[in-house]
Amino acid sequence: MAVDMKTIEHLCGLSKLSYDEKGMEKVMGEMSDIIGLMDEIKGFDLTYDDTKDKNEIRFNETREDIPEKSFDTEKLLQNAENTDSCYVVPKVVE
Amino acid sequence: MELTRARLRDLRKMLDSREISAVELCGEYLKKIELTDKELLSYITVTKETAIKDAENAQKKIDAGQASMLTGIPLAIKDNICTDGIKTTCASKMLGNFVPPYNATVIEKLNEQGYVLLGKTSMDEFAMGGSTQTSAFAKTKNPYDLERVPGGSSGGSAAAVAASLAPAALGSDTGGSIRQPASFCGVTGLKPTYGRVSRYGLVAFASSLDQIGPIANDAYDCAILLNAISGADRHDATSARKDVPDFTADIDKPIAGMKIALPKEFYSDAIDDCVKEAVLNAAKELEKQGAVLINCSIPGLKYAIPAYYLIACAEAASNLSRFDGIKFGFRGEGRTFNDLIIDSRNKGFGEEVKRRILLGNYALSSGYYDAYYKKALALKQEIIKEYSDIFEQCDAVLTPTAPTPAYKIGEQDNDPVKMYTADICTVTVNIAGLPGISTTCGYSESGLPIGMSVIGKRFDEQSVLRIAYAWEQNFKTAAPKI
Repeated sequence: MAVDMKTIEHLCGLSKLSYDEKGMEKVMGEMSDIIGLMDEIKGFDLTYDDTKDKNEIRFNETREDIPEKSFDTEKLLQNAENTDSCYVVPKVVE
Repeated sequence: MELTRARLRDLRKMLDSREISAVELCGEYLKKIELTDKELLSYITVTKETAIKDAENAQKKIDAGQASMLTGIPLAIKDNICTDGIKTTCASKMLGNFVPPYNATVIEKLNEQGYVLLGKTSMDEFAMGGSTQTSAFAKTKNPYDLERVPGGSSGGSAAAVAASLAPAALGSDTGGSIRQPASFCGVTGLKPTYGRVSRYGLVAFASSLDQIGPIANDAYDCAILLNAISGADRHDATSARKDVPDFTADIDKPIAGMKIALPKEFYSDAIDDCVKEAVLNAAKELEKQGAVLINCSIPGLKYAIPAYYLIACAEAASNLSRFDGIKFGFRGEGRTFNDLIIDSRNKGFGEEVKRRILLGNYALSSGYYDAYYKKALALKQEIIKEYSDIFEQCDAVLTPTAPTPAYKIGEQDNDPVKMYTADICTVTVNIAGLPGISTTCGYSESGLPIGMSVIGKRFDEQSVLRIAYAWEQNFKTAAPKI
């Protein structure tokens, strides 16, 4: 299936990505090929039934609530830029 | 000291008998890395200073008679497994300077035993690829032929073990990322059952498929490492609350009477003749040892590639949305909050990662969700059922690990579809959450390793390890010349 420019722009919006004009042309061609491959799944004639999922791992088994020391703030901030004992970001109100 | 393809159990004996000290052993590997890795590029970070300190501490434990199986044993770790205070880049510019503030659970478990971290190995960016050529920092080469890829995404770990730059390593496997590079580099790689090993501290690619596992010189060493890293973890709700057996205990038991299935779809024209021949010859050898071969079918394999990529990319799009350049990771520029995030992601992610995020959001977006993502989940149920039916009559399934031996660097660079379809032999194991091991079963005419995969029932790593080990006892491997 060929993917049009409008679809790629929509996906870029959802993905928080952008391309220049040349990059857009390239990714449009690649995504068309990839989605062509994904389209093969449409030949499979069954629908998903979530009651048939057999999980041996019980996801609703929550761990005990044991109070423990949290991460050190300074250590957590070691990977952030422009730290002043907190995360610094540009103006959020536009 | 001769390190070529050293086995963990032999190193243990040498350390315990004081034939070599932990510091000397670590020094030997560091020396070899310095000599060889400029060409091979298997490591992103070599932790020379901390390795020597780790080795000194390990020696104290050995001297005090408190050694565990891995005390003083040097290991390499894939660079998507968090190591406290040591860079963990995921081979991405996005995490180029990221220093985790905590250890992954598998690292904590190895630390308890007093292992020695040699360094962090290269990989495809965010584990997305099968060549290690999407790494932003070290495009690892194949030790058997430096013009070829080592496979991926755990290509650095596999190449390091193959070239004896580590006696064993940890990798991660989302769609074949341990088994396929193990196959390309002529070593043994095990993808455990989903839930067997905690994923806490593994940078997430596709959370329902990812598993950490060992890459080593044989199945026995994989069992030793699996013993060390398995078990339930309160930090990972998807880790299984199951008892962990000693995976080395019955590994040398004869395989006579074990039933091994050969699904016909894995031996189609899409697989190179040399690969088919090597795997089927190995099957005959296992038959000679008393295994019973059974022909079977997995029709769902026809749709496995789209099912896998739709599920994996949908989860990746969601998991990677956390990389916005604010709290950690590469920070771009922008006048507004939105511009800053887009610029950070544009400059931080490589092309393959961006393509997969776009595909994931496509599969999840309004109007396409039922046609793609839910259809992929239906197929997942079907593949689980098809494997269950086979396992009602068989103990294991035998398949090729990859359709071809290692290919030339650059051969698949501009063809994502070709790259994705090359995963056909491995992805169903992740979709069904099964354990699978790849071990070398032959060499191509040009001397490139060929791998076969033994797949087992959920939480039956023991059977796959036993079959792989039985095969390895009568097969002579050839170490690369590097």
